[in-house]
Amino acid sequence: MAILRSPVDAIQHHWEYYRERPFLRLVRLFVARVFRGGGDSDSEGIDLGIGLVLTLLAMPGGFVSLLLLDKYGTLLQWMRGTLNVDPLLMALPDEYFFIVLSMTVTGAVAVWRWDAIFPDRRDYMNLVPLPMSMRTIFLANLVAVLFLAVLIALDVNAASCVLFPMVVAATQTKFLFFARFAAVHALGVLLASVFAFLAVFTVLGLMMALLPPRAFKRISAYVRGLIVVYLVTLLCTSFAVPSLLRRLPKAPPLWTLLLPSTWFLALCQSLRDRAGPALAAMAARTFPGIAVLTALALCVYAVGYQRHFVRIAEMSDTGSDQHAVRRSRFSFYLDRLILRTPFQRGGFLFVWKTLFRSEAHRLVITGIGGLGLVLASQALMSAFEPAKSLREAAMSPDALSIPFILSFLIVVGIRVVFELPVELRSNWIFRLMLDAEKQECEPLARRVILILVLPWIFAVALPVYVYFEGWVVACLHALLVTAWSVLLTNVVLIRFRKLPFTCSLPLFKQHSIVILLACCFGFLCYAVSTPDFESWALLQPARMIDLVPVAVVAWFIPRRLGKSTTDIEKEMIFEELPTRTIEALQLGD
Amino acid sequence: MLEAVNLTKRYASLPAVQDLSFSLQPGKVLGCLGPNGSGKSTTVKMLTGLLQPTRGVVQFDGRNIQENLTAYRSRLGYVPEEAHLYPFLTGWEYLELVGTLRGMAVFELHKKIDSLLQLFSLHPSRHATIGSYSKGMRQRILLIAAIMHNPEVFIFDEPLSGLDVTSALIFKNLVQALGQQGKLVFYCSHVLEVVEKVCSDVLILRRGVVIAQDSVANIGRILGQSLENTFLHLVDDVDTMTVARDIVTVMKAA
Repeated sequence: MAILRSPVDAIQHHWEYYRERPFLRLVRLFVARVFRGGGDSDSEGIDLGIGLVLTLLAMPGGFVSLLLLDKYGTLLQWMRGTLNVDPLLMALPDEYFFIVLSMTVTGAVAVWRWDAIFPDRRDYMNLVPLPMSMRTIFLANLVAVLFLAVLIALDVNAASCVLFPMVVAATQTKFLFFARFAAVHALGVLLASVFAFLAVFTVLGLMMALLPPRAFKRISAYVRGLIVVYLVTLLCTSFAVPSLLRRLPKAPPLWTLLLPSTWFLALCQSLRDRAGPALAAMAARTFPGIAVLTALALCVYAVGYQRHFVRIAEMSDTGSDQHAVRRSRFSFYLDRLILRTPFQRGGFLFVWKTLFRSEAHRLVITGIGGLGLVLASQALMSAFEPAKSLREAAMSPDALSIPFILSFLIVVGIRVVFELPVELRSNWIFRLMLDAEKQECEPLARRVILILVLPWIFAVALPVYVYFEGWVVACLHALLVTAWSVLLTNVVLIRFRKLPFTCSLPLFKQHSIVILLACCFGFLCYAVSTPDFESWALLQPARMIDLVPVAVVAWFIPRRLGKSTTDIEKEMIFEELPTRTIEALQLGD
Repeated sequence: MLEAVNLTKRYASLPAVQDLSFSLQPGKVLGCLGPNGSGKSTTVKMLTGLLQPTRGVVQFDGRNIQENLTAYRSRLGYVPEEAHLYPFLTGWEYLELVGTLRGMAVFELHKKIDSLLQLFSLHPSRHATIGSYSKGMRQRILLIAAIMHNPEVFIFDEPLSGLDVTSALIFKNLVQALGQQGKLVFYCSHVLEVVEKVCSDVLILRRGVVIAQDSVANIGRILGQSLENTFLHLVDDVDTMTVARDIVTVMKAA
């Protein structure tokens, strides 16, 4: 035992020695700041801890793999009468989905921690006075970034690299089939992950290298938003792309250049000798693509580091690009007609600025907007596919569903965004000045949501339907979407008693999963069933009266629930505290 | 008059402040001194109504402030110890937010913000986001937010931290002027010279208990020494010179 222990001890001793060396200590610092806070402001990041973040990232791949058991199970295949299936052919769309999933998750992580990847002013102030060269800081950050790219790629794909091949090979008797499939799949998804991380990193570095610091800061959020929209689109189209790949001509079409995910699927197919000429040509792009991206990432990172980090001391802290915002007529009328109390006026000002200025909130809103656009464009395409004329397409359930889809996502999305806190330590000003018993949070939140939803209905949906179908149909359609939006807003704001963004994150409750399922079911009722009914009802507008009882019930339930809450439950809160099973009365105090 | 009557605050069972009683008279500036952990912040939070006392009351004009906290807070100007502000708002927007929440009329509010920003030398950077402000600039924003609605009670918790020399001098004179105007001022600080210069009365806390309370002049006269020495004498039984020498010794050690 002593003989065995000594080399282990020696390795451990050496590791302990090296991990505390300045360079590795610096690398650890840069890795940790990606997971914990970071960014230029003093904001308190949502600190989930490295372990929990890595577990959350690994979960989607594992869940999807398990869900596929149903598809590949032999008993179920036998019951369906599908015998002698080719598992490799069957696995193609699923493998493509895993590639897209790994790219999306890795890309999203890189976008989410965008600010923390690169050293900032705080690092400059803390590290530069220490006796170490700028080159050491540069190399330590670079090593940390590369380590992160590999770590995230391994983590995101760990579960699917084991479970998915096991599921696919469940019907096979040879272990070699499993081993080969697993190796090729792992290579495909890992490279896809690294590619996505490097691509985001390159875009970040390119912007830093080309733009002045202030312009970079301003444009950064929009570019991140665009990347999120691209990733969401990639995920939403992942079900349609495999069938297109099966029907490719000999040369790969141009659109495959915009979808690098297809290259990695082609690589997997090539390695399994299943690729046609087009797929082989696409597979040939992967390694040169990664090599070019890596070289580009290193170059732009070096230039960006030189331009931004090394010169931080020369840059002024205070912005000089000041734009005086004049009080518009719009805000004057808004104050007069809609926002009647000081709480509503002040609260609206705060909520509005936060929604469009806080990076985290803008990012979530952009993601929701991207999802909305993808779903709306899918609905639009579906509307035009079977229709013979524009008029026919406009009256189809798919076209009618577009404002429902968008309003649902805005209402629910904004409600979710309201839960994300911003600068919690700064909420003392509201604690100090607001009357907790006044119960004005819900009316304020309702006004914010409806101001974001209703103008679009009247500015876009109404004129479009007036043009195609005339005033009666257009007004009925606008009225229905408006009524449904208001009712949905009432539902999502049941027992809402916070000033948005000023309360700590809600705790995970047992009924959170039920709420999630209710959202999915709600979407089906709101954005699928209602347009179906509306399409039928608009043929004879009197049929719309059938919706009145539904609307009355949807109006009555939240109102009833609101009334049944006690006064204490209506008081404004700034902290989400767990419900205590036993309450100490502290009678001795 | 603002009065603290037997204020006690316990966190779980640990007392942070015990049986604290004092009154704040119009025209007087009451300084609050004490080492870290002496209960200054807890006292300030109870005076502002941010924290409810475990026992005792804070009375304003003879009425418990908890009875109508909103009315009391509308007459209160508070500068907290740390400048936690929303970094994505501009200085102007932050002040507009505070003024709007206080129910100030738009025209009057804008006029006041404009004038105060100019007087505090923040006008040129009024449309830059607070995230880009220095500590001193943030502190000045807090000061403006605390005074712009012309309150009757002022509670300042370390208001000079980060301020440059000119702004600090302006502020010290402002506090004295507020006192002369008959306002109630409670001033918490670590900087003894400032308390000595600005305050008419002083309250010294140690481990949540008042150990001295009198006018600055009286305290010095009774103990026959400066406020700094009085403070050290009352609060810390530490020979500061010895500690300084020990630090140098540790620094030099291999």
